[in-house]
Amino acid sequence: MIRQILISDPTLRDGSHAVAHQLSASQIALYAAAADKAGIPIVEVGHGNGLGASSMQVGLSLEDDVTMLETARKHLTKSKLGIHVIPGFATIKRDLIRALDIGVDVVRVASHCTEADITQRHLGFVRERGKEAYGVLMMSHMASAQTLLEEAQKMELYGAEGIIIMDSAGAYLPADVEEKISTLVYGLKVPVGFHAHNNLGMAIANSITALQAGAKILDGTARGFGAGAGNAQLEVLVAVLERMGYVTGIDFYKMLDASDLAEKEIMPSIPVIKSESIVSGLAGVFSGFAKHVARISKEYQVDQRDVYRELGKRKVVGGQEDIIIEVVMDLVRNRK
Amino acid sequence: MNKLRVAILGSGNIGTDLLIKIQRSEFLECVLFIGRNLSSPGMAKAIAMGVKVSDESIHAIEKDPDAVDLVFDATSAKDAAHHWKILDKLNKIVVDMTPAKLGGLCIPAVNLHEAVKQRNVNMITCGGQASIPMAYVIGKTQKNVNYIEVVSSIASRSAGPATRLNLDEYVDTTEMGLSFFSSVKHTKAILNLNPADPCIDMQTTIFAKVDEPDMEALIKEVDVMIESIRAYVPGYSLLVSPIYENGRIVIMVKAQGLGDYLPKYAGNLDIINCAAIAVAEQYSKVQNHLN
Amino acid sequence: MTEAVKNLLFEDCRKSCTQKQNFFDLKDRVILMTGGTGFMGKWVAEIINYLNKSESFSTKLYLLGRNISKFKEEVPHLADQNFIVLIEQDIRNVHDLPADVNYIIHAAGSPDNRDHVSQPLRTLETFYKGTQAILDAASRLSQLHRIIHISSHQVYGKNEEESVIQERFLGKVELGSVNNVYAESKRAAEMLCLIYRNQFKLPILTVRPFSFIGPYHDLEKPWAINNFIRDGLLGGPIRILGNGSTIRTYLYGSDVASWILQMLTCGQNGETYNLGSSNAISLDELAQKIRYSINPGIEIISKSSRENYTSFSKLIPDVTKITNALNTEEIYTLDEAINRTIVWNQLIRN
Repeated sequence: MIRQILISDPTLRDGSHAVAHQLSASQIALYAAAADKAGIPIVEVGHGNGLGASSMQVGLSLEDDVTMLETARKHLTKSKLGIHVIPGFATIKRDLIRALDIGVDVVRVASHCTEADITQRHLGFVRERGKEAYGVLMMSHMASAQTLLEEAQKMELYGAEGIIIMDSAGAYLPADVEEKISTLVYGLKVPVGFHAHNNLGMAIANSITALQAGAKILDGTARGFGAGAGNAQLEVLVAVLERMGYVTGIDFYKMLDASDLAEKEIMPSIPVIKSESIVSGLAGVFSGFAKHVARISKEYQVDQRDVYRELGKRKVVGGQEDIIIEVVMDLVRNRK
Repeated sequence: MNKLRVAILGSGNIGTDLLIKIQRSEFLECVLFIGRNLSSPGMAKAIAMGVKVSDESIHAIEKDPDAVDLVFDATSAKDAAHHWKILDKLNKIVVDMTPAKLGGLCIPAVNLHEAVKQRNVNMITCGGQASIPMAYVIGKTQKNVNYIEVVSSIASRSAGPATRLNLDEYVDTTEMGLSFFSSVKHTKAILNLNPADPCIDMQTTIFAKVDEPDMEALIKEVDVMIESIRAYVPGYSLLVSPIYENGRIVIMVKAQGLGDYLPKYAGNLDIINCAAIAVAEQYSKVQNHLN
Repeated sequence: MTEAVKNLLFEDCRKSCTQKQNFFDLKDRVILMTGGTGFMGKWVAEIINYLNKSESFSTKLYLLGRNISKFKEEVPHLADQNFIVLIEQDIRNVHDLPADVNYIIHAAGSPDNRDHVSQPLRTLETFYKGTQAILDAASRLSQLHRIIHISSHQVYGKNEEESVIQERFLGKVELGSVNNVYAESKRAAEMLCLIYRNQFKLPILTVRPFSFIGPYHDLEKPWAINNFIRDGLLGGPIRILGNGSTIRTYLYGSDVASWILQMLTCGQNGETYNLGSSNAISLDELAQKIRYSINPGIEIISKSSRENYTSFSKLIPDVTKITNALNTEEIYTLDEAINRTIVWNQLIRN
């Protein structure tokens, strides 16, 4: 039974976290063209935290949204152009309308895993305009399978034609993935997807587990280029999928070429699991915090690992990078 | 001393919390608590407090306009616009809790006296009330402010359906308020909902990009501003004193609620309500020639 | 609204009102409809408009809703009629009804599942408190002949086994899921009606609507047929989400309103009636029909969580009870219903 798997590639979005959102238009053009040649179905582009997120809070991007999207749009002919949208960062009037006008095909509207109702208007808007809409539940390790299903059902009603759960902290082990994905696959009408992070070295294994539990959408990036310890490495993922008999529609060699290009042109270093990434994963902290924690900890001379532990205890969610400063200040104060 | 007679339009959490605060005020008296649904918890509270209630929405005021001097509108932006058409003709004062932005924007610690010269005053947003005073201080003390950004985190439990459905309006209105009070054109507002248990208090961080930061002047003025705000929002405090980090000014403030009607963690609702009360009381003082 | 559109609607009413004698008792009478500004309310208003204009009925219609200004904007040709009186009120808060009311159609409350999952508490309150409020107020009317409670097929819950669903089907609503709040709320509302009929002898009957289609349906509502038409009008692709073998039936708007009004005079107190079409169609076939109606070149794509389904959902009402009671049948076929809906949407978009 050949099964079609939809691969979405956020190298140019999640990868943005890895370079503090400093991807240039020419880098975007290069990778987008290569990904398009390789037939990667969806190429996701933008600031690490999505549309409209360029800010002091999570980092200013080198290029603005319009430039990034227009550049990518020019170089994607077969592949679809996708964006990540978090309500609270992006608004319909200020950001989404323009993105759709530029020619974005796929909009993935994301919320923290317990707050799906903030996506109602944005999902509805995308569907009103006839574009592809997906719902995304971030930091999904912070909610039970039943809660995730309840939230996913809301997004399904709002117009999502697929729901992706993210392991934003890289905290999952395969058994966690099996439970959550199968619950969603059973309880939802629309396809279910999984977005892995590699903090505990589990990105590929988790992705395959998701597949076997019924997921039909998987995210992967070139060399795993992404926040923190990185994502599921796309080349490896596609290779494993093909070996297992799944169909992705991707030209394998051209995709390897695209990843080689990405390594050369857009990555200062290949993702690897550093000590702080492991602590971050264990503490369940959003992978996108990595650079901020590193910088502020160094500045105030506190141990990053203590910072992660504290952030995890406080159950901080994505977008709350300002809390890092507060936590560091507290550590400094208590040290005295 | 004649207490200003106020009506509250909107019997939800905001309206009910306002009601309780008004009972403590020596300048205000609530003569009418109005909603659309007599069986809501807010209505039950008002009835238990012996306050006159009505479920006839704006008609309750139209029926007897001379009984009311000032109206708090805690309904929705769309309804507030509709109400103002009527209340304007009736020559009433409106303190608008919605993002309708029909009247002058007000941050009591900054422009209380100017704001009350108008008959419609808008309280912007909860995040706005927390952050704009700081943005104002930055605009006042720093040369060449290029950009101001504000991030608020609130407890998931303190964000009701109205907030969730209108995040875009919240962002829009807060950004407008930031620009207006800081004179900085380029502003950004971000809102995060956090479901952590125990519930987090409202926390707001203000960032600014300036060419040559004058931290000394900033710290001094921030302290003064904090004290001004605490006069009407006792739960407002500085969490992180202004620092210059990674090319940006960073200030962090926290707002813990008084716990009048809503739990203490709902500081976001408390701050906008305290500010609104301060405005209404100022109208009262002006009318009584006390200020 | 253009003349072409108004004529389309008028024509629909004329065609659907075949059993003229069933309507006679509504002549010179007063009907009040809660939830009167929605799809059903607009169609009821259209039929009354037709009866008053073509058959000299002089029937008065009160329409009670939360948002009257929206109604005035959308259907000024109805809102401006002198036999229509608009009452702006929250159903939870109704306490006095106009003394001249003879018939009540209680349809208040959003059927939009998005509202149910975003605001489950308000959903439960609207249907429970709202129904109680209207029944209390109704019990003090001296000229009341009948109340129709508009329930929902969702009280039957999920169905995969029954080939048609009869009114006595017990239904299977899963416990422990907050997103089932609508089904539970409607069940609670039905119970209230049973209580008020039994304890206070109110003349109530219940109608359980299945799926409808027609002009005045908001294409953004999260229902398959609405979204297929919307996707089709946007040029596609038409997306079938979930199991394409899912079976549904769709009754056309003017038939819906016509049957409800006839129920006022011909229905029996204490009874429950399914209201819907008996013509079953799968979502796959429905998508094909809609595509064909708009533009055969439109793409259809299917997206589902599973590869294989061992069973599929069937919501086909057994409508023998209502058709016997009214001695009537569906006037509009599904094809006609789809076509007219598409034409209407195309007309008003321009």
